[in-house]
Amino acid sequence: MKFPSIGFEPFFSWVNRTRILYAPSVRKELAFELSQLGGSNVVLFTDKGVSKAGISQKIVEQISNSELKLAGIFDNIQQDARMTNINDGAEYYRSCGADCMVVVGGGSVMDTAKAVNILIGTGLDDFKPLAEQAGLWEDAKPLPPHIAFPTTAGTGCEVTNAMVVLDVESKSKLSVTHPYCNSDIAMLDPELTLSLPPKITAFTGMDALTHAIEGVSSVGAEPIADALGLHAIRLISKYLPIAVNEPENIEARGNMLIASTMAAMCFCNTMTGATHATAHALGALHGIPHGMANAIMLPLVMEFNIEECPERYAVIADALGLQVHEDEISTAASKSVQAIRELKELIGLTETLRDYGVKNDPEHFGPLVELAASDGQISYNPRYVEENDLLRLFNQAI
Amino acid sequence: MEYWKDQHEPITAFLKLFEKAKEDPELSEGLKKVNQLIWFDYTEDGSDCSFHVDCRNGQVVAKQGKPSEEPDLIMSLSADDAHRSWSNKLNPVMAITRKKIRVKGSATGLLKLAPKLKKVALIYEQALNELNFLDKILK
Ligand SMILES: [Fe+2]
Repeated sequence: MKFPSIGFEPFFSWVNRTRILYAPSVRKELAFELSQLGGSNVVLFTDKGVSKAGISQKIVEQISNSELKLAGIFDNIQQDARMTNINDGAEYYRSCGADCMVVVGGGSVMDTAKAVNILIGTGLDDFKPLAEQAGLWEDAKPLPPHIAFPTTAGTGCEVTNAMVVLDVESKSKLSVTHPYCNSDIAMLDPELTLSLPPKITAFTGMDALTHAIEGVSSVGAEPIADALGLHAIRLISKYLPIAVNEPENIEARGNMLIASTMAAMCFCNTMTGATHATAHALGALHGIPHGMANAIMLPLVMEFNIEECPERYAVIADALGLQVHEDEISTAASKSVQAIRELKELIGLTETLRDYGVKNDPEHFGPLVELAASDGQISYNPRYVEENDLLRLFNQAI
Repeated sequence: MEYWKDQHEPITAFLKLFEKAKEDPELSEGLKKVNQLIWFDYTEDGSDCSFHVDCRNGQVVAKQGKPSEEPDLIMSLSADDAHRSWSNKLNPVMAITRKKIRVKGSATGLLKLAPKLKKVALIYEQALNELNFLDKILK
């Protein structure tokens, strides 16, 4: 197989606002960088799990040993960014007189903090009407200083200019975009991810891999995002099994953090596809962690999509490290699906929807199909997905 | 305007589209679930260039012009971009990020129908055909 011709839409745009600093212990640069951004009175956003693992303490130490002042710590963030958490977070930010935020956590923490910063920047106190507007680009202005430390190599929320907010009332996930909501600086410090348990390492890593694979195969795919997504796939397929099996391996942890950021710089420009659409529905209705839901759905959706753009799955197979140079495009493409199944096996992700109590009956499948069919991400899937297709995909995932 | 001779042509086309979309059970059910008074505002292309859809209370009624009541949602764009959007050549979410579509009010309901734009585009093509607007069909 020679590198195939890969088409893309004649018009595309690509952006990444966030500056990225990488090094083991890069947190030592926090005080300098934050003061460069004009921040001095810091509110730290994190969650109880990250605090309990002693990770946010490592950042608190950096603040305490510097000119910066720690105005307060907000650690009340639950799984998935939630409207009430966001509004409480903004109230806390104001009450402690902070002028900048440092965010330490995974996707839920980072997305909550992004929404808080929008409230702070706009002087508003309720995020719900903003979330319902979906796109906050009209008159958008830069927000107060914001530095993020991702503690999972997964969501890439430190660089994406969108946040996914769970509306508990309507049991749905709303995607909201704002041009300045991502962090000004993402500090990738792999030492902060060393204590992440193997299971969480595995499924958050699969979220990153899904971003890269769906980003490269989406209808919005384009060459700049391809470069980022394909290299992320190379790094994840090499380093995810190592990070799962040797949690303290700093090289593997570092490469996974870099890869998850690169995958996010890919997909936030190209969007994703049916894996994310179905995963959002599974998360909203059955509380399945986002990465786990992606891991369950990814090979099934790839299989469904392959006929639509085999050349894209062939380069994905190549990036997965498979020997495809002698193969026809279609053969190479189908090998990519098998490789994902083998990778899941290798990192111990054998769960199906059944393990999360999802049953093969209309009561469960009806709402799942309805929610996935109306998820914004499904529009970017390379193959048009009918409701019947969704039903079949959920069925296969039981 | 690239596609329209005057400000009335696009409204004629879009009202025809809604008339036909109402006959499709899936789209009509989807619109009823949105349950809003929506104003599609193209007045940047002429003061009469707009229409509204009232899909509250289990009905779908599309009429020319600005609604007399306060709309729940206003989508402001150019008549050309609206044409691209109904033809499924302009992704609404991407268009929002490039300020080609300006949103006021809750858009979550209407955006849930965005994945159906492929179907809408087929109906729009039929509408343009019926109106003899053949030169406007985007391939
Ligand atoms: Fe994701």
